[in-house]
Amino acid sequence: MIDDFIKEITDQTGEVYRVKKCDEAAETLVNIAQEKQIIKLIASTDSVIRRIDLAGVAAKSGIEIRTAGDFKDRDAFKAYAFEHADAGITGVDYGVAESGTLCLVHDENQPRLVSLAPLYHIALLPMKHLVPTYEQAAAQIFSTNAALPSQVSFITGPSMTADIQATSFKGMHGPKHLIVILLGC
Amino acid sequence: MQRFYAARAEGYPLVKINTHRFKEIAKEELKNTYSRGFLDIFSQFFPILRKNAMESFSDPQEALEKSAAIRRDVVARLPQLLDAFENNAANNGAKVIRVKDGREANTVIVNLAKKRGIQYVTKGKSMVTEEIGLNQALQANGIDAFESDLGEFITQLLDRPPFHIVGPAMNVPVEEISDIFIQRAEMKTPTLDPVELGHAARVYLRNKFHHAGMGITGVNMAVADTGTIINVENEGNIRMSKSSPKTQVSVMTLEKVVPDMQDALHLLRVLCRSCTGQKLAAYVSMDSGPKKTNEIDGPEELFIIIVDNGRSELYKDIQSRQALQCIRCGACLNTCPVYTKIGGYPYGWAYSGPMGQVLTPLLLGFEATEDLFRACTRCGACRDVCPAGIDHPKMFQAFETRRQERKKIPGLNREEMIIEMGFVIWGWLVTRPRLWELTARLTRKALSLPALSEPLKRIDGPVKHWTHSRTLPHPASQTFREHWKALKKAEYDR
Repeated sequence: MIDDFIKEITDQTGEVYRVKKCDEAAETLVNIAQEKQIIKLIASTDSVIRRIDLAGVAAKSGIEIRTAGDFKDRDAFKAYAFEHADAGITGVDYGVAESGTLCLVHDENQPRLVSLAPLYHIALLPMKHLVPTYEQAAAQIFSTNAALPSQVSFITGPSMTADIQATSFKGMHGPKHLIVILLGC
Repeated sequence: MQRFYAARAEGYPLVKINTHRFKEIAKEELKNTYSRGFLDIFSQFFPILRKNAMESFSDPQEALEKSAAIRRDVVARLPQLLDAFENNAANNGAKVIRVKDGREANTVIVNLAKKRGIQYVTKGKSMVTEEIGLNQALQANGIDAFESDLGEFITQLLDRPPFHIVGPAMNVPVEEISDIFIQRAEMKTPTLDPVELGHAARVYLRNKFHHAGMGITGVNMAVADTGTIINVENEGNIRMSKSSPKTQVSVMTLEKVVPDMQDALHLLRVLCRSCTGQKLAAYVSMDSGPKKTNEIDGPEELFIIIVDNGRSELYKDIQSRQALQCIRCGACLNTCPVYTKIGGYPYGWAYSGPMGQVLTPLLLGFEATEDLFRACTRCGACRDVCPAGIDHPKMFQAFETRRQERKKIPGLNREEMIIEMGFVIWGWLVTRPRLWELTARLTRKALSLPALSEPLKRIDGPVKHWTHSRTLPHPASQTFREHWKALKKAEYDR
């Protein structure tokens, strides 16, 4: 399942890093930022991301890391996501092996623009969040008596198009690069 | 019913409907060597892409049968499923508005925008808004609508109908795109590189996404069980339109509803494979209501507009209903021997290829669309790839029967009379072997005269549909019977 998942992601030009522990993930993040010259980063505050010492990463690498709570309002947050952030980093609720899909459940800690507006989307996926098919993820998200999440996104590779002469390329309106850090290998 | 449809088409005068000019535009397009070249290549490689993707199912045929069964079930239970969807979507906090036709839909959406002081909207690709001419209605009220799917963006700038339901501007030469981007999309330097052209559109539209007050999208599926709407896309423009603006308007037609998430997920798999040969499109987003109060982005209000526009009328007819099974994947276009020669423009409205030939006549009536549904070789390639279980050729045949039944003057017109006479003469001839042989010999002689082949092409009258569009084959120097006789004679001589 893990191999299938990785193959599907790399088929879509996604990069996959495998790490064992959270501090390793933080190190990997620093390396990625340096290699890709990422200076400004917007982060989600979901339960996966909270396991990473982002303040430590920021201090070590000198990159600026902001979360939704750092902004006075919606407009300020949007301006940063659209105009300034080089990369967005999010946790992943479910990784679906059948197509290398990242499933994000949006809520106050998982804003929609983090994984959408910047050129890089860096996604942190704990190994135990991997499932074989969409149905396993959907069953957990939608079979509930509580209120449904306002939005759920299935992300399979970077944003792309083939609308001009059927020539396919990545990075149309959303991220051009998708990087997945697989946690707990 | 016929009058009802005609009245509806007049209901939104802002949409250009050219279905009655099918033959004329098709003739023009056949001369378009650029589009022809593109279609030749495209129609070769796309079905292979689709087939390869389908083979990732353990049993592709079973997967198709399952999706067709889901769509049949949807159509059978459409009224109940719609009610369930409406209730559940409302429970999620969405405002669901049902409208009877395009005019009403446009009025509702324009008013929503006006009330909120919206100056411009960003749009995700939506065929129903093409159908009802929403962009034109917004523009007429001083509200700019920016199509944000790259292909739709290009066709909007060029003011052209969609060439293909999935890639509306795939046929447009890069030179033309470069020119129009410099004129109208703030591109600085001309380029013929599709990637750079795409980047120019990204830069231009990004600002619109950032500041738009309203995002308008279509809907791929509406899940009855959970009240969730699903959008499928590759570019991220729909997610943008559902994340950045404070108001989201999602427009759907009745038949987009599906019973539950299980069915939706299977349809997703089949849709993406049929449509673009992908296992899954880059982005699938599912909304259950507007954003929660503590969320920083996403729409504060979500409107779901359910457009009827003639569909509940056609639903009354058990045979016509099948048209509502369509999930707009476009696979039928890519395999159709007619579409892959003439492209999408001749079909004259939002829907082209076999799926358009099925839907358009039912929505606009048979008079203005008879050339559309008759442009079929009955090869059945569309039916074979259809993930929704539609038998297009059978539908066309039914349309033709009904058209004949509905004709004002029963019986044959002059042209049909001449053809009928021709068959009588032919019948008389073939039952008289000697005379037939003589006629055949003379005809063959005549046909082999080079001086005759060109004038033959120009013969008018009832046979012109055959003679104008194809070159008659050159007759062989000997018929089979002559050849046989000669062979036998040679054998005997030896």
